[in-house]
Amino acid sequence: MTNKTNNYNYPDKNGRFGSFGGRYVSETLISALEELESLYKKIKNDKKFQEELTNDLQTFVGRPSPLYFAKRWTDKLNGAKVFLKREDLNHTGAHKINNTVGQVLLAKKMGKKRIIAETGAGQHGVATAAVCARHGIECIIFMGSEDIERQAQNVYRMKLMGAEVCPVSSGTSTLKDAMNEAMRDWVSYIDDTHYIIGSVAGPHPYPMIVRDFNSIVGTELKKQSKILFGKYPDKIVACVGGGSNAMGIFYPFIKDKEVDLIGVEAAGSGLSSGKHAAPLSDGSPGVLHGMKTYLMQNSDGQILGTHSVSAGLDYPGVGPEHSFLKDMGRVHYEAATDKEALKAFHDLSRVEGIMPALETSHALAWVSKNAKKLKKSDIVVVNLSGRGDKDMQSVAKADGINF
Amino acid sequence: MGRIKDSFERAKNQESKTLITYYVAGDNNLNFSKKVFLKLLSYADIIEIGVPFSDPMAEGSVIQRSHERALSSDITFKKILSLVNKLRVHNQDKPIVLMGYMNNFLSQGESLFKKIKNAGVDGLIIVDLPYEESEFFYNKLKDIDLDLIRLISPTTPKKTIEKIVKFSSGFLYYVSFRGVTGAKLSNFKEVQDNVKYIKSKTKLPVVVGFGIKEGEIAQKMSKISDGVVIGSRLIDIVQQNNFRLNDSLKFLEKSLKKFRRDVRKK
Repeated sequence: MTNKTNNYNYPDKNGRFGSFGGRYVSETLISALEELESLYKKIKNDKKFQEELTNDLQTFVGRPSPLYFAKRWTDKLNGAKVFLKREDLNHTGAHKINNTVGQVLLAKKMGKKRIIAETGAGQHGVATAAVCARHGIECIIFMGSEDIERQAQNVYRMKLMGAEVCPVSSGTSTLKDAMNEAMRDWVSYIDDTHYIIGSVAGPHPYPMIVRDFNSIVGTELKKQSKILFGKYPDKIVACVGGGSNAMGIFYPFIKDKEVDLIGVEAAGSGLSSGKHAAPLSDGSPGVLHGMKTYLMQNSDGQILGTHSVSAGLDYPGVGPEHSFLKDMGRVHYEAATDKEALKAFHDLSRVEGIMPALETSHALAWVSKNAKKLKKSDIVVVNLSGRGDKDMQSVAKADGINF
Repeated sequence: MGRIKDSFERAKNQESKTLITYYVAGDNNLNFSKKVFLKLLSYADIIEIGVPFSDPMAEGSVIQRSHERALSSDITFKKILSLVNKLRVHNQDKPIVLMGYMNNFLSQGESLFKKIKNAGVDGLIIVDLPYEESEFFYNKLKDIDLDLIRLISPTTPKKTIEKIVKFSSGFLYYVSFRGVTGAKLSNFKEVQDNVKYIKSKTKLPVVVGFGIKEGEIAQKMSKISDGVVIGSRLIDIVQQNNFRLNDSLKFLEKSLKKFRRDVRKK
């Protein structure tokens, strides 16, 4: 692990993270992916592009996001000191916007007139709709019909900002099917359309681009923790669905081996129940959505249905870099159940006055369980990836309350 | 690499272009699809057997639903191979090609190659096979005299076409438009130019597929290529007959006879 970590420079020229990643798509998409990759490589270090991006991140998103000491929660947990990286305070309510402000600039540079995106919980859809409205670009969001029901408010938000929301009722009618449908649309309108994938998933170069745009989170945290603690945190915890918020906060720390990185998947009704969305904890490598990665699948390679109380983690795959980091042992992956996540949601709301997204609540649940086992002097940072406003309906339902 | 090559030769000798059909194994159950394949074997030159996948990214709605129906009838890779085996008892000459997605083939591990060879399969079409892995599959299949059939699309750059044909055998499958299976054809001139270009780079036959629903299009496409693939249209026919076996077979036969005439050189 040591050597690999020191020389960490992935993906390689074939878009691989070790054996993971790659570009498993139909031939029609290859040239668009190559175009995106070469443009991105050309402009990512371009000063003008970086200035434009930084300006958008500051004035449109509201960066940098604060690093907040959760004092009362720390006291309650009676263990390590817990800090929250407040991505929930970003415009549109989650880390997702870090990626969309960057990708919309790429789309403009490529002269694309139309933007499509998939969404699960709706956060990525909202973040895409927002940047499209701001730049005056046509926006189409693909969303599973089951998720449309679970996240009705986010659907309305997208529409208010001018996006068209296309219900997807094939397969399991959730995030994975929305992604299939977005890919199908992209193949059909490839010449004038850019597809903004919302996670560190999909074919190369998406896992790299989405990671890079989100790594502003980890880069800020490095500076903030030097100032606040005089060192890096001892542990960084983030939830993992596709894994974009986790990659964003982990990536700048990969070479800093003294920092433990912990990704928390959705264990749904429990890992042993089979009703979960935890491919790293209980899956096997395979190919889906253009990438080789850990998947929930049967022995014939059919993708299994997933379950999680949070729509944003309800995905049978995971970004390929996470699969790589798991196998090399640099990141430690665990899972939290629906029940544990809901408890963490309530705890943080009551004790800190911060309502986290249900996705984020999985990372908080890990801290709840483990803070006591750590030294009091240890510093744990949780990526508070999103706010819970969108989840009122789901939480109320779980609590047996009808609006 | 016998049967596929022979089938193109045979069609040529009969003053015809090659008629290739696609249908999904297990739609809407294993036995029904077997009857359909037997019908297809008596009219088509090559049959493609669709391996159903839970997430068929390149398919339009007709073939998507077909994959879904097949999976809910509990089709497995093993059952598909035994289906091929049974079809081989009835017909020893016509090529049978499996068409599907990477994950289903990967799930079989290294034994995939031996299994498909033993079942009587002649080649593979893997929709989402990336370049870097095509050489591996090409060689593995070549070792056991099977073909790796590759797709080329309207967006494939010319330079890439040369790379693709290098690790292809049997025939090349030109995707007629930017889109998913079953959508409408857009630009005939583009298809004509691209097929011509591909043919200048390879000795392999080039067939055209995606969006060939009517006899008229089949006729036009077969004139500028070595053959056509009919897929969604056949599934449409079966759907329209509500999967009633006798009616489905009757209308399939009618349609196949018509396509057969349409691909004949005039």
